[in-house]
Amino acid sequence: MSRAAAAGLVAVLVVLPWAGAGEYPLALLYSTFMYATLAVAWNIIGGFAGYLSFGHAAFFGLGGYATGFLLVHAGLSPFLTAPVGGVVAAVFAALAGYPCLRLRGPYFAVVTMILGLAVRAVVLNLPWAGAAEGLWMTLPPWEPLAARRAFYYAMLGIALVTALAGRAVRLGKMGVGLEAIREDEDAAQSIGVPAVRLKMSALILSAGLTGLAGGIYAYDRSYIHPDFMFDLHLSVLAVLMALLGGRQSWAGPILGAVVVRLVDELLTVRVGTEAARIIFGLGLALVIVLLPDGLLPHLMRLRRRAPRPPAAVPAAVVRP
Amino acid sequence: MLVQALQALATGLLTGSVYALLGAGFSLIWGVAHVINIAHPALAVGAAYAVYALATRGVDPLASLATVVPLFFLLGVGFHEGVIRPAARRAGDLVLVSMVLTFGLAAALENALAAIWGPGPRVVNVAYTGQAIRLGVLALPVPHVAGAGLAAVTITALYLFLHRTFPGKAVRAVWQNRDGAALCAINLRQVTSLTYGLAVASAGVAGVALALIYSFSPATHLTWLVFVFLVVIVGGVGSLVGAVVAGMVVGAVTNLATLVIPFAWAPFLLFASLGILLLWRPTGLFRR
Repeated sequence: MSRAAAAGLVAVLVVLPWAGAGEYPLALLYSTFMYATLAVAWNIIGGFAGYLSFGHAAFFGLGGYATGFLLVHAGLSPFLTAPVGGVVAAVFAALAGYPCLRLRGPYFAVVTMILGLAVRAVVLNLPWAGAAEGLWMTLPPWEPLAARRAFYYAMLGIALVTALAGRAVRLGKMGVGLEAIREDEDAAQSIGVPAVRLKMSALILSAGLTGLAGGIYAYDRSYIHPDFMFDLHLSVLAVLMALLGGRQSWAGPILGAVVVRLVDELLTVRVGTEAARIIFGLGLALVIVLLPDGLLPHLMRLRRRAPRPPAAVPAAVVRP
Repeated sequence: MLVQALQALATGLLTGSVYALLGAGFSLIWGVAHVINIAHPALAVGAAYAVYALATRGVDPLASLATVVPLFFLLGVGFHEGVIRPAARRAGDLVLVSMVLTFGLAAALENALAAIWGPGPRVVNVAYTGQAIRLGVLALPVPHVAGAGLAAVTITALYLFLHRTFPGKAVRAVWQNRDGAALCAINLRQVTSLTYGLAVASAGVAGVALALIYSFSPATHLTWLVFVFLVVIVGGVGSLVGAVVAGMVVGAVTNLATLVIPFAWAPFLLFASLGILLLWRPTGLFRR
């Protein structure tokens, strides 16, 4: 997608709430932005660096609990404190991430999954965080449509920040370093790539962006409970979206997020939650069996097959 | 206090042996096929529900093994041939693909169990529920002893199979060096199928044993998943003995910890100790 097309898309998304979009389309787009944020943020550590985190729900939930806590105990609006949620998630990632990032391959994946489940178990037993009863967050006395617009813009902003961050990392020097780590960490280190610093920065950035989204999501639910704020399903969903869309590009996960969100929505509308999860689980397995490397390679092949106007080649590049 | 601690240690070791069994099957698939089977504990929960269904019709859990074990062996072979193999042949990153794939299956199984039996916890009641064997100052609950006995017999059988029989040695050969084994004319596909069959059957046995000891609900597999992961990380992938020792350690630590902190906090304690372990030995205690 060219730069102009992306800018046009963003402009459309910005004016949409004032162009007659009702509550449902705004809610659907809002959750798509959230999924896109999760996928793009996950991809910074999982895709670029190749460190497969299966515990991102921990960062998401911590962001949500941070804003929930600040609202309940200090009366601060999550629209203002969402960055605090991001910072809490990032600090946690810095502390827990260091031992985890010493592991490679499947060990990292498994340990981050334990991390996600352990954080859920802990919060479930913290009395001052609501424990198993959860936390209630009172929404401001807004009209439903006004509230939807507020959440829409908040999540759109977070998704844009995340996409720009993902793009900056991918196209910048850090992206080159992370790619080198993914290909061969020992070799990268031996030629002077600061592997530990880059991995840590990638994980902290990824966690911070995820926590930011969690902070707003918690407020939208207005009731938070460890069972869905730290849901393992969420961690795997982030992986799935990035996997479907393509892990090498910064924008691929957005495509995955749109596809997954639409399928999710269709299933939940058509059948109940329980049946939806059965079908989703089996469908997920089927998609992985059929397309283990995601949609992007197939789309690229389609594009390659389509006739393309010959590009103007600079004369200096053409060599006999 | 000392008696209490001894009691907690004894029951911890008994339940730990069941964690060891569950972890051993998981570790076997990881080692031989390089697949991380998130659905492993979910299959065990499936076995627990099968035991529950049979027990309500008057079949003793230990007798239901006669159907669970062959059924789960075939299930494991089918799981490999029908699901994992087609995906693995095309996958670029097997760890990623297998984790997402098997998570999908685990989620589907969890919700299917919830659709049939509801999300609430179930308990298998048998004639010896609530009875205990007295051993000096210790009282060992009979279901715990039965579960641990089941685990011990299965692990011993697995050990003897892997070390004394030709097919078992082939499994270990593939475990140690896939290409080398293939060069020695070992049929990788057959060995991998056999491994899945054994591992899933052992998950079935572990499910029966856990059904004797604990109440369970469709979401229980997530709790067991933590224990399975811990057993494999502590024990190291590719070590049956490591899995046994790690299972015992995890069981004992969890139980001893509950003397001081609530049970639900045990995962946190285990994770904290895991973090320290990883800083000290990043690839587990028993890594060759």
